[in-house]
Amino acid sequence: MPAILAEGLTKHYRVKVREPGLGGAVRAVFRPRYRDVHAVEAVSFRIEPGEVVGFLGPNGAGKTTTIKMLAGLLHPTAGRVEVAGFDPWMGGAAFKRRFALVLGNKQQLMWDLPPEETFLVNRAIYSIGWADYRRTLDELVELLRLGDVLGRPVRQLSQGERMKCELAAALLHRPEILFLDEPTLGLDVTAQETIRAFVRDYNERYGATVLLTSHYMADVTALAQRVLIIEHGTLLYDGALAALAERTLPVKRVTLVLAEDVPRAALAPYGAVREYAPPRVVIEVPRRDAARVSARLLAELPVVDLGIGDPPIEEVIRAVFEGAQIGEAR
Amino acid sequence: MTGLATRYAALIRAAWLTDLQYRAAIAIWLVLGIAQPLITLAVWWAVAGGGEVGGYGQADFARYFFALMLVDQLTLAWDVWYIDRWIREGELNFRLARPLNPIHEAIADNIAYKMKTGTLVLAAWAGIALAWPAVRLDVGPARLALAVLAIALAAAIRFVSTYVNGLLAFWTTRATAIAELHFGISLFLAGRIAPLSLLPPAVAGVAGVLWFPYMLAFPVEVLTGGVTTAPDLLRGFGWQCFWLAAWIGVYRLVWTRGLRRYGAVGG
Repeated sequence: MPAILAEGLTKHYRVKVREPGLGGAVRAVFRPRYRDVHAVEAVSFRIEPGEVVGFLGPNGAGKTTTIKMLAGLLHPTAGRVEVAGFDPWMGGAAFKRRFALVLGNKQQLMWDLPPEETFLVNRAIYSIGWADYRRTLDELVELLRLGDVLGRPVRQLSQGERMKCELAAALLHRPEILFLDEPTLGLDVTAQETIRAFVRDYNERYGATVLLTSHYMADVTALAQRVLIIEHGTLLYDGALAALAERTLPVKRVTLVLAEDVPRAALAPYGAVREYAPPRVVIEVPRRDAARVSARLLAELPVVDLGIGDPPIEEVIRAVFEGAQIGEAR
Repeated sequence: MTGLATRYAALIRAAWLTDLQYRAAIAIWLVLGIAQPLITLAVWWAVAGGGEVGGYGQADFARYFFALMLVDQLTLAWDVWYIDRWIREGELNFRLARPLNPIHEAIADNIAYKMKTGTLVLAAWAGIALAWPAVRLDVGPARLALAVLAIALAAAIRFVSTYVNGLLAFWTTRATAIAELHFGISLFLAGRIAPLSLLPPAVAGVAGVLWFPYMLAFPVEVLTGGVTTAPDLLRGFGWQCFWLAAWIGVYRLVWTRGLRRYGAVGG
């Protein structure tokens, strides 16, 4: 049984259109006009237990709407969803004990109280026994390094500390499925890394399934082997992160450090010059030619150092959104 | 059931701890809540002078409005304000993802508040009654039990109706304005401005079949001895039960429909 199954998942909204100005406001009262928003359009995917999947897309692409449908907060307009064997909309309390939903821009921690008070409320709400609660909390405190944070009011915590506590609050009942919507939003690099390491560890330790959206590619590259890419509500790509680069931007970047200046024009015959900051230059070449071109560069130019790498994943994703050689969805 | 009791204990504890952070704000609300009945009492006190108005002398007004002050604090419901925010600002999302209907959080919050302010108002009243015999109540155990029941039912009606009002935020951005309107009507029909018997008979008649007096005036009258006969008591409790059941029915309908709408348009 898959952990998460979406078949033809579709969500359309009807929103009121308001023209600007007083006239528009008055017209909207007497003759309201509506517009259909196709937030998610026939999206299908299947996630197996224990998988960590990155969910990518620009703002408004339909990521959060999809996650909310998977968590049972939104009712799909069409299509079928199954999460942990439940229909999320009908699943009730039994279903809600199986997953955790963490929304990076909304918090469940009680603002005026230390985080542990929220943990205690969740302990009661999820009917977690004291022994289990203590054991899980100790683990979470250790993994997330929360030791000195538990006793301070939430409002006094840094954003990174708050997010770590949000994760702890959401995971006390040891959910087998995690929906993480922008869990690293607005965090500094160190806090982002702690959270990444924690999610990886939680996944390995409990075999939890994780669906993660993030604006930070580093989150996705660090955690997910597989990505779903969505834009305008449509799934553009579902597959391995590594294959995405090959399929979308089948190029390699050759980085050179030169012993002496070589004019830019002299580099052009080898490939597209991406960066020219002598002594360091970056040349982009077709993937299949990378080895041959590198050999020529070593032979023909005063090369001190040479490295071959993939284009940054951000560029790959951008290329996907720009419609450049979009691979077919799996 | 023990599961629910544990959950309530945790929620009430959290509500208390949160309130402790807002001692000053709660003191101000309490003063405001007490001021309104006292000001109204001052007006009727002056109107009655040495005589009576509709059977109420100064001491009767004093008893009525002191009882009103207590009952008002014990039945207070302000849920519309934060439910409106939960819905509009997406704070409902994580609550919907938890295996507990959010109404329990609201009920626990209400119980926590009332245990605290009820004690405070009761203590204040006891203090004043020592010095001012007019506001002393002559209640035996039987009447006290009836009053407690009437207050509990009134609190439940007021809570559910306010909660339903808050849920209107699923459809409109004006849920709090509707609450203001509801409060405005209750000034007259719930017996806040004057005992119901002083209202024009037609208005009192209309009020008598609506839920307003059963949220406030009826428990006040039970407490002060304004309602004493068995038929009157039965009628009052009957209406209380009817309106509580009706509001619970409306709640169920509005909650299910509202969730469906929230699920349809998103939060």
